[in-house]
This record gives sequence, C-alpha cells and structure tokens, in this order.
Amino acid sequence: MSLETTVPATPSQQPPKAPPLKALVSRLAGNPLGGVIAALVIIFGASCALSPHFLTTFNMVIIARALAFIGLVTIGQSILMILGELDLSVGAIGGLAGVVGGILMVQLGLNPWLSLGLCLLMGGACGLLNGALITQLRLHSLVLTIGMAGVYGGANLVATKGVAITGVPRDITFLGRGLVMGVPVPFLVLLVCLAIVAFVMLRTPVGRYIYAIGSNPDAARMLGIRVNAIRMGAFALAGFLSALAGILMVARLGTAQPSIGDTWVLGPIAAAVIGGVATTGGIGSPIGAVLGAVIIGIIEDIIVLFGISPYWQSVVSGGIVVLAISFDALARRYLNRDAV
Amino acid sequence: MKTAFAFAAMLTAAPFLAPLAAGQAHAADNSAPLRFVLIPKTVHPWFDKANNGAQAAATMISQATGRKVEIEYRAPQTADVSSQNDIIERAIATHPDGLILDLLDEKGNRATMDEAVDEKIPMTVFDSLPPEGMDITAVGADFCEQGTMAAERLANLVGKKGEVAIMMGVPTAPNHTLRAECEKKVFAKYPDMKVVATGVDNDSIETAQKQASAIMQAHPDLVGWVECDASGPVGVGQAIRESGKTGKVKEVGLDNLNDMIQLIKDGVAESSASSRPEMQGYWAVVSAWQRAMGQKTPKYIDTGIDLLTSKNL
Repeated sequence: MSLETTVPATPSQQPPKAPPLKALVSRLAGNPLGGVIAALVIIFGASCALSPHFLTTFNMVIIARALAFIGLVTIGQSILMILGELDLSVGAIGGLAGVVGGILMVQLGLNPWLSLGLCLLMGGACGLLNGALITQLRLHSLVLTIGMAGVYGGANLVATKGVAITGVPRDITFLGRGLVMGVPVPFLVLLVCLAIVAFVMLRTPVGRYIYAIGSNPDAARMLGIRVNAIRMGAFALAGFLSALAGILMVARLGTAQPSIGDTWVLGPIAAAVIGGVATTGGIGSPIGAVLGAVIIGIIEDIIVLFGISPYWQSVVSGGIVVLAISFDALARRYLNRDAV
Repeated sequence: MKTAFAFAAMLTAAPFLAPLAAGQAHAADNSAPLRFVLIPKTVHPWFDKANNGAQAAATMISQATGRKVEIEYRAPQTADVSSQNDIIERAIATHPDGLILDLLDEKGNRATMDEAVDEKIPMTVFDSLPPEGMDITAVGADFCEQGTMAAERLANLVGKKGEVAIMMGVPTAPNHTLRAECEKKVFAKYPDMKVVATGVDNDSIETAQKQASAIMQAHPDLVGWVECDASGPVGVGQAIRESGKTGKVKEVGLDNLNDMIQLIKDGVAESSASSRPEMQGYWAVVSAWQRAMGQKTPKYIDTGIDLLTSKNL
C-alpha cells in the first residue's frame, strides 16, 4: 500500500462536490438498474401527481395483483433472454396449465393441491420439451417456440372446445384472490420466486454460467460449462413459472379460461428490455425485468385512470415505454458529456 | 443492487402506505356530474355503436334533468377476461357513479364484480347476462333467437336443402358459441340440409375472408352461410364476391356494421339478423342512471332484433 493512500486529503485537495442532480444521476448510472429505477420513480411520481385515484390502497393492490401474473412470466423470459434465447410459447403454456388444472380439479375431481402440483410439473415439462428440441435439433428458439405455441394453444382448444371450465374449488381461489396483511397472494408468490431466481443468478455458479453462455456460448462450452443442460433447464424454468402464472390466474378468475395467457407473449419481452435485459444475451437481470413489468403495469393503470380513449391507448403506452427505455441512454449521455 | 432491493421493498410497502381515505368523491353533491364508466368486451365497431347510444342517453338525461351525465368509454385492447377484469378494477378505483359492463364471461368476471359490490358501485350489464345471484339489470337481445332467426332465414332462402357453412366467431366467447349451437339446431331440423364446414374467424374480417374462400374451394356445392359475430359476415361476403358466387351462395349475416349494410345493398348478402347496439347502450345508461338515483330497475330489458334487408335499409 502506498503512503499516499494512507494520508487523509485536506479539504482543498478533495475533489469538488458534484451538484445534487448530477450526483443522483451518477449514482443511478453507476447501478445497472439505475435507468429503469429512475424511469419508474418519474412515472410513479407523475401518476401520483396527476391522478387522485392512483395512490390509494385499492389501486396499489390492483397494480400489484396484475403485476404478479405478468411478472412471473417475465422472470422466466428474462433468464432465457440473458441466455440469448426466447420462448414465444410461454403464454400458451400458461393457458394450457390453467385449463389442465381446471380439468383435473373439476372434471376429474382430483385434489386441488395435487392438481396444482401436476400442472406445474406439466408446465416445466412443456418448457423442457422446448429446450430439448432446440438444443438437440439445433433449432432457433424463436422459430421453434412459435410452432410450439400453436401446439400448446391448439391442445388447449381441443381440451376445452373453447369453453371455460367453471366450478374451480374454493380451496385454491385464495391463491388468486386472497390478501395477506393487505398484499395480494399472487404478488407474494412473485416476490418469493423473484428472490430465489435473483439469488441463483447473482450468488451461484449456475447464474454465472447463464451470463457466460449468453455472452459467448462457444467460449462457455470451451470452459467446460454444460451449455445445453443449462439452456434446457432455463426453458423448463420458464415453462414452470408460466404454468404457475396460469394456475394462479385460474384461482383468481374462479374459472379455467382458454384465453388465459393470450397476452403474456410480448409484454414480458418488452418488460425485460425496459428493465435492461439485452436481446443479444449476457446482460441484464430478472429484477430489472420485473421493474420493467412494473413500469408497464403502471402505464396500463394510469391509461384507465386518466380515461384515455381506447384508440389512443397503444400510442400513449408505446410512447411512454420508448421514453422509459430512452431515459437510461439519456442519463448516460448527460454524464459522459460532463466527463469529457 | 442494494438500491434495487430497497426500491423493490418500497414498492411492496406502497399498498400499506397509500392513503386510506381517497376516492369517495362521488357521494352527496347533487350538482356534480354523474359519471358512468362503460366497459365493452374489446375495441370493436359494434361497441362504438353501443357507445354512441350511451352518449345519446347521457345527453338526453343531462338535458332533461339539468345535471350533467358523463360516459367514460374504456375498452380492453383484447377480448380477454383477465384484461377486462383489470380495466374494471381500475375503473372501480376511480369510484364512478355506476359501471356499465359487457361481460366476457360472467363467471370469470364474478370476483371483480364482487369488488364493485363491496365498493357500493351500482352495475348494469348489456349484451351479456349477469352472474347468478346478483341484482343487476341486463340489457340486450337473445343471442340464440338471433342465430335462429338467421339460420331459419337462410333455410328458407335455399329451399331447406343443400350444403351450408357456419362461420364461428371467437371460440371462447359464450355469445358466439351460443349462436352457433342454435344455428346448428335449426339446420338439424331439415334432413336435406347439411353443415359441411365450420370456420373460426376470431372476430376478424380478414380471417373470415380467408377461411370462407378456402371453405368454398373445398365445398363447391355450398349454397349458403350464416355467422356468429359481427366481423364474420363482412369477411364471408367479401369472399363470396371475390369468388364470383354472388347470388349462387346465399348469406344471411349478423348485426349492422356499415360494411354489412353495404353488402346487403350490393346484393352480396341477402339480409342480416341485427341486434341493436345503439339501443343497448342507450338503455344501459338509462338503467344505470336510475340505479344511481336509487330507483328499482327491471331484471331484463330486451332491445329486440331487426331483420335488415335491402327493402328496409
């Protein structure tokens, strides 16, 4: 250690203090999630200021519950994106798991909790099948999962004939409708899943392998990482989380709707991108992706609270999303300009 | 990463920290505008017509009573129960004086409607039936009667014999499914009639056109079409015209979209069994207003079905 580092600097030697705004921007920019957090704070603050209905307990519960379903799918999709993959069949898997759960519980009279477990296994198996086909046949995940979305979605319609399965036992409706100390149960499930996945991604070798594969699969293979096994596992996890979202939605609605999952395809991808997950792989985190989903959820909420015309909704929500993802880039440009 | 965890914790805590007393503004002020939120199944021209009727009723009540009535139209982008529930919940958060809903599935919408009951927000449904046990006025027409009327009309046009086809709407939409079932029952009555194909258009004109073209290629002896939604008849009519089978293949459509009316005027479709969306929107608002005023309202208001032909257009 050099002497210089042990001598405390006099006030005149200390670097000049940055202005508060710049200091805040610097701190956010130094954090990989800084951009999405800043965008979220701005959107949240603006929503509070512009609508008296936004920051109410009832509305916060609505946002949290709606976030839970899309958030679970987003976690799975973000891991795949970090790996450099995509699964466009996650919505169809969620829908199929939901209706299979309905069939098992209502039509076959199986124990609801056993049915739930079987549906989760089925979702994982569907994801694993996707992963196996992609890795063993060396197919592009985008193309393969478009086809598999048709297969799972078609199986859903074959099983239900397009008609919802009603009479879901009340034993499990608590999972979709219940509140624990005012917090929706599905949201708690999302937090638990996110905590586990974030721990695995940030604190275990498997997480490091996923980033390594996403950055350069050939290099990862040369390092001895079992690339195909990890890719298959990630697809299985995405299928499992989609099935969990599907069965929670069945518990929420009290019926197994064949249309469950129809809107879970593009939303999670957009959420992951907003949250800083690179579409090319190797960059991002599930936490950022879920924060991206929070942004989308708030936008969907304020569009209704503000009474925006349904014909303008896509324009408004798309515009805000573009602003949100631009914020990170603008903040970094601001910093770089001052650094030069 | 600590920042991220702290932020996630903040978000989790937000429901507890939010003010508890917000949003009771709609209560007692008799001069304040009455605000009703109209939530259809999805964005679709049929619901625009229902909204036109709703706005007309709001204008009428405003002029008659001197108290302004506002209709906020909030349509889900997709016909999906969970999306519709999200919008209903967000509308509840604004504490309107009433909700006017076209339910996608009364059982799937039940939990959300219970929340409106808890918040003491009166509801009226149109173009659909309310969940069992709920004291809610339903405004609409009989879907089965509409499908039956169209199928009987087609059966008479083709002499109660020959191959016919049905274009289903959205397979998961209960009203579309019910119309198809009732149409099939009509054709089953006539031994010389046979349903040789059933297409699925998912309430898309383009899909209906493609499916109808393919079905007419596969069944050259087809003599007629009926449909189950508002978009299907327009797509089928376009396919009939493009294939040069106008007059040879009969079509009895549904509803009164502008394109449907034009097809009847052009002689491509013979007629249409049309519900009255403007009237459904109108009477739904009248019923919602009466509820907001504390009046009793009927259990069901039947707005009837029109048979549109070139003679009465």
